[in-house]
Amino acid sequence: MPFACLFVPDFSVQALVRLEPELRSKPIAVFEGVPPLRKVFGANAAAKTAGVEIGMTKTQAELCPGIVCRQRSLSQESTAHSALLDCAWTISPRVEGSGQEELPDTVVVDIAGCEKLFGSPEKIASDLRRVAAEVGFDANVAVAANAESAICAARGFPGITVIPAGDEAARIGVLPLSSLKIPMELLDTLARWGIHTCAEFAALPEIAVVERVGQKGRRWQLMTRGADARPLLPKEPPLEFEECMDLEFPVELLEPLMFVMNRLLDELCTRLRMHVLATNEIQLTLTLQGNGSRRKESLLHVRTLRLPVPARESKLLLKLLQVDLQNHPPNAPVIGVRIAAVPARPRTRQLGLFLPQSPEPELLEVTLARIRNTVGYDRVGSPLLLDTHRPDAFRQTHFVLPESTTRMANTQRRTTAALRMYRPPLPAVVELREKKPAAVICNGARRQILALSGPWRTKGEWWAETAWARDDWDVLMEALRPAYRLDASEPMEEGTALYRIYRDLRLRRWFVEGIYD
Amino acid sequence: MYVELHSCSAFSFLEGASLPEDLVSEAARLELPAIALLDRDGVYGSPRFHMAAEKAGIRAHVGAEISVEGFGTQAGMPSWMPNKIPSRPVRLALLAKNRTGYQNICRLMTRYKLREKVKGTGTATLEEVAEHAKGLVCLTGGQEGILAAALAQGGSEEARRNIEKLLTIFGKRNVYVEVQRHFDPAEETRNQAAVCLAHRLHLPLLATNGVRYAHAQDREILDLFTCIRNRCQLETAGRLVERNDERHFRPAAEMTRLFSDLPEAITNTGELSARLRYTLADLGYEFPRYPVPSGETIDTFLRKRTEEGFRARYAAKRLDNLYERAERQVRRELALIAKLKLAGYFLIVWDIIRFCREEGILVQGRGSAANSAVCYSLGITAVDPVGMELLFERFLSEERGEWPDIDLDLPSGDQREKAIQYVYQRYGQLGAAMTANVITYRGRSAAREVGKVLGFDRETLDQLSSLVNTWGWRGATDTTEHQFHQAGLDLSHPRVQKYCELCERIQDLPRHLGQHSGGMVICQGQLDSVVPLEPATMPGRIVVQWDKEDCADMGIVKVDLLGLGMMAALEDCLELVPKHYGEPLDLAQLPADDPLVYETLRRADTVGMFQVESRAQMSSLPRNAPTKFYDLVVQVAIIRPGPIVGRMMHPYMRRRQRREPVVYAHPSLEPVLKRTLGVPLFQEQLLRMAMITASFTGGEAEDLRRAMGFKRSESRMREIEVKLRRGMDQNGIKGETQEEIITQITSFAQYGFPESHAASFALIAYASAYLKCHYLAAFTAALLNNQPMGFYSPATLVKDAQRHGLRVKPIDARYSEWRCTLDRDPDKPAPCLRIGFRYVRGLRQAAAEAVVRQRQVRPFAGIEDLVKRVPDLQKSELVTLSEIGALNGLGQKIHRRSALWQVERAARPAGPLLESIPEQADASPLQQMTDEERLVADFHGSGMTAGPHPMSYCRARLDLLKVQRACDLHGIQDGEHTRVAGCVIARQRPGTAKGFVFLSLEDETGIANVIVHPDLYEKHRLIINREKFLRIDGILQNQDRVVSIKASQVMPIAISAAETESHDFH
Repeated sequence: MPFACLFVPDFSVQALVRLEPELRSKPIAVFEGVPPLRKVFGANAAAKTAGVEIGMTKTQAELCPGIVCRQRSLSQESTAHSALLDCAWTISPRVEGSGQEELPDTVVVDIAGCEKLFGSPEKIASDLRRVAAEVGFDANVAVAANAESAICAARGFPGITVIPAGDEAARIGVLPLSSLKIPMELLDTLARWGIHTCAEFAALPEIAVVERVGQKGRRWQLMTRGADARPLLPKEPPLEFEECMDLEFPVELLEPLMFVMNRLLDELCTRLRMHVLATNEIQLTLTLQGNGSRRKESLLHVRTLRLPVPARESKLLLKLLQVDLQNHPPNAPVIGVRIAAVPARPRTRQLGLFLPQSPEPELLEVTLARIRNTVGYDRVGSPLLLDTHRPDAFRQTHFVLPESTTRMANTQRRTTAALRMYRPPLPAVVELREKKPAAVICNGARRQILALSGPWRTKGEWWAETAWARDDWDVLMEALRPAYRLDASEPMEEGTALYRIYRDLRLRRWFVEGIYD
Repeated sequence: MYVELHSCSAFSFLEGASLPEDLVSEAARLELPAIALLDRDGVYGSPRFHMAAEKAGIRAHVGAEISVEGFGTQAGMPSWMPNKIPSRPVRLALLAKNRTGYQNICRLMTRYKLREKVKGTGTATLEEVAEHAKGLVCLTGGQEGILAAALAQGGSEEARRNIEKLLTIFGKRNVYVEVQRHFDPAEETRNQAAVCLAHRLHLPLLATNGVRYAHAQDREILDLFTCIRNRCQLETAGRLVERNDERHFRPAAEMTRLFSDLPEAITNTGELSARLRYTLADLGYEFPRYPVPSGETIDTFLRKRTEEGFRARYAAKRLDNLYERAERQVRRELALIAKLKLAGYFLIVWDIIRFCREEGILVQGRGSAANSAVCYSLGITAVDPVGMELLFERFLSEERGEWPDIDLDLPSGDQREKAIQYVYQRYGQLGAAMTANVITYRGRSAAREVGKVLGFDRETLDQLSSLVNTWGWRGATDTTEHQFHQAGLDLSHPRVQKYCELCERIQDLPRHLGQHSGGMVICQGQLDSVVPLEPATMPGRIVVQWDKEDCADMGIVKVDLLGLGMMAALEDCLELVPKHYGEPLDLAQLPADDPLVYETLRRADTVGMFQVESRAQMSSLPRNAPTKFYDLVVQVAIIRPGPIVGRMMHPYMRRRQRREPVVYAHPSLEPVLKRTLGVPLFQEQLLRMAMITASFTGGEAEDLRRAMGFKRSESRMREIEVKLRRGMDQNGIKGETQEEIITQITSFAQYGFPESHAASFALIAYASAYLKCHYLAAFTAALLNNQPMGFYSPATLVKDAQRHGLRVKPIDARYSEWRCTLDRDPDKPAPCLRIGFRYVRGLRQAAAEAVVRQRQVRPFAGIEDLVKRVPDLQKSELVTLSEIGALNGLGQKIHRRSALWQVERAARPAGPLLESIPEQADASPLQQMTDEERLVADFHGSGMTAGPHPMSYCRARLDLLKVQRACDLHGIQDGEHTRVAGCVIARQRPGTAKGFVFLSLEDETGIANVIVHPDLYEKHRLIINREKFLRIDGILQNQDRVVSIKASQVMPIAISAAETESHDFH
């Protein structure tokens, strides 16, 4: 009697409900997709009774009485699966994580030899179910002599099912073939044959089945007979270097935490060095002091740092973690620290004798991290022009040092004026003459326009709320106040200057956008 | 003065966003005196543009943008800008100065279009352009043009070189440097370079706005089209979409202000417009002259051919009076034909008919041609217009100055193709072509394409497409909004609102050009100098760029070679009947007024019969109770929107049943309306009414019909009404009588059916009825072999034939052929029908024919033998054959499941090592299929069953529920509450029925007709539209032996999971 299976029906719903137990008795529909195209992905029994069907749109589902709608959360499902694994690991170290079909709702445990520790199979099953209930799952548990029988029974029968050895075929036989997760193609063939239950499939002559649907058919048939004795595929931890330390006392300040982290990083870097490896990703997981609940994901503080180049200098890594934690401090005392390093080949690059010197990538990364902390995460990087007619449309990409600098040939060089933009643009009042700007009043100063060209009109994204419409003008006028210099080293805006002004046609307001060099 | 000389319509196919008519009306609103339409690589929209401009009093200049090679690709964005604008060849904007210029545009386009391998990718070479440059003015173009491309690629020197090339080709006076202003700095830079070049080369500047849509807001449609063309979404289209919305018409004052620094660019538009003297009014089309032997003129040749035919047709009838009348009529017609110089046209049609006869292709003319005694004599039509007193003016009149319209019905399929190819062969590749069919955005295609562009997922689009209304009747809830709501879309979301709005806005805009099913145009000389020609998707076919309406508007004569499924079925019967019944069959010599035929018609037992099988026809047949051929002519014509909307049907039926006296609005109308009991039913009658009461000439009467026709014009109708009243006043018809006649004419004329047309159809209807009554097996086989056609699905046709005593045998690998065939059992007097392999879903014809070939060599010893000897058969095909029981005969005690069991093994390659190991003799472990499983398999695999009707399996249960059988309904009294159930075989919501829905429910005994009130339909819309089997409670109506149930309750009923089919009509 060596295998138990934990199966969570309506997994996507339960993954959410376990964090919001007050919803447990209500009809819940889980959607996936982005508005306005959200469709029902999962629903609990109450919701199905109320008329919700998988694949309905949100608008349709909302018509069902009393329905509670929630967006699907893959991260919560992932953590729920981890929690399910945890439940299994409380019984046995040999746990198969996601089965053969990558099913997050199913976990199989090898319970051979556990009887002495935990009691009869029924007791183990009920323990598993109780533990699952503690982490918020209403799970089916089945115990059988082989893993597949346990999976079939858990998926097919509600509550706890213990199948005595030898009874697998009989018990599983009553289940419809759909509970086996048989591929659609085979299911269609079997349906054509008039075979709908496991027992009917099991009764077919084995050689004849192999002749017709191949070896895979035999495997599925063995399953329906409860005789598939495949070995368990215990979950292996992913290949990563990991160091962790449980703290005796909760730590609230950053400094003592840095001390611990320093030690862990030293160890990690030493191990990396021994394997001639470095790391390009560090994951810091701080276990926070909670109220005794088993909701692990809410008690962890996880920070991930991705490095532009692989590194194994503990000082550098420590500095990066420190800067990050200063910006994202944990919200509770820390009781455990875990640092995982994803291994990577170290950077090998020989500097050229005549290449211009560029900043050390590692140092540059530290500097960028500091700037990010000051101005915001999304505000640092290299600008990347976007494919749109919208003026000043760009996004930030991660700044990396170019591998080599290529100089543009003289013939390719374009003589274009540079526009220094005011961010945000300066609100202005513009006086018009014959529908053309005649004077600009900005920041208290009135400037007569001496020459102009335009309007240059752009209108776009009319299909979305981000629609814009504006008329740009290039105007020559006396310089605006020097207060708008970008930095002290720049020349003062004196005499006349060429400006870009624009009228936002939707807001019906004028702005000074920038000054041409 | 400003003239817009560079505009594109939606006929630039996804590169313009407004219909030509909308461009014209906006130009008229802005008081532009003239405009030019330059669509991309075509003059697709020119006829509509020309007609609309003529009405609006605007001059319509003709031109096109021609894709050329040798000038590089269109100017795009600078390479450092992120964009994905595909490179496309430069386009030359050409305007026709005179007819030579127009002909050159047409020939040039035909030249490169005919060699293009992928639609829309052809380009003209510079040599070709030079060859066809006479009579043309060339503009340097906007963003898509040569100047922009040259400036982007090689600066002003390259631009100068290219313009000099144009000067060499077109001559100095015919090249204009174009400037456009859309508030784009890059464009302005180009303009400055263009102005410099123009001054340097002493060329005139020309301001245009490069119009792509009539109004600024239509830019959204253009963006949408751009995304459809580039297969991307709006969100990700980037710089592919428009920069702003400035490519619309501008009034002269605004253009003058915009080009205040270049006033000559505006002045030149007026000057150039004055130089462009060509409009489509001067098309230069000429119908081909028929070659006649020396010593003959075309008119004498036609006269001789007519006389030959005349003698054969009328002398045989031996009616002196008729002969004389017919002779007079033929003489009159021939004189008019000679006067209008139409003899060539008649001879060409006669020639096609002669070809068909020689090739044994069944052919019959219809439409208004059947009003002509000459057509009858020439064998073009089969209805005697003199005998039936049909009105010749409906076909041809001196005043109208139009080409006559002759439609030829041919058997659909290969036979029709033969006739089409004959015309191509006879008149040369550039002398004949098919007319185009402009495919426009309709509800479903609009919802799908707009949805894709807006980023909606496929599933939602599928759901939405399935909900789009295809009924003829559009109720209050049949709005786009309602459909969107039903598809589960949140209408309060701005994106969904936009989706909905755009779907509405792109309705009826052209999407691409298709090929009309049968319309052919023929030309004396080169058709490609009249309209550009293009290759059609179908190999060997060439299409013109205009649809048949446009061709008619432009005065191009066309011959419609239409494929008619029933003609093909009749042709099949000509072969089947002598072969299997041993009796000769000549459709021209069918016994007239066969009592069995009329009795069957009166019973409305007409499933499968041509034109009289529909639900509406069935419900009027017992009332009309036809007893002779003319009754059938009336029957064919009466179930039409004309008589129904004009409220003529019920008075006619009442008079027919003698419940109402036959009266005439005016005694003078008696001769015209006598045959239809005083009720006008045909177009000819209306024309004659106008001729008698208001002294209209034949031509004036035909004008009246056209004024009331499809494209009716209020002002024209009023004019004609005044004329009618004046005429009646003069003839002393006043007061109520006048009103009644006016009402009859105006309410009816637009939808009327010509009597001649009805008579042609009635002939086919009679033939089909005769064949069904006397040769049921042959007729059913012919119908099944020519599907899709008619009102009912093959499953219903089979069931109906079985109810009439035909033995239908299922598909069998031992006996079936590709088509349905007739078998004759030695002990049975009548032949029976064997369903052919063509009904096996997914079975390829080549594989089926391989089975037949192998079977003829020697019979199959078993399933394994079949699989081995016919390797063409794929596993999925074998599985379907097994499922429907077609392999049951290939062995002892084989049932469908055991066949499946064997097929699964036999079709799985065992490899060379195990190949020779024979199948184990063990019997299949699989259970036989149940009745229900057999039904499901039959309908899934062949769309029908030769076994019992699904309803028959549940009859005991249905009896408990007190469900009446269809055949018992006739015995139930009118007004009694009744319950029926059946398989839904047809759903209808006709436009004339005010939202009522008509359902046909089939059970094992027949068909029950159900009427659903619009309110009940709304309540059970989903059930009525989707459920395959319904139970209906309601009040039985039995009026004049027409039985129907007026539904009060509708519910689904679980009968079978079989995928039965319903034909839903709009």
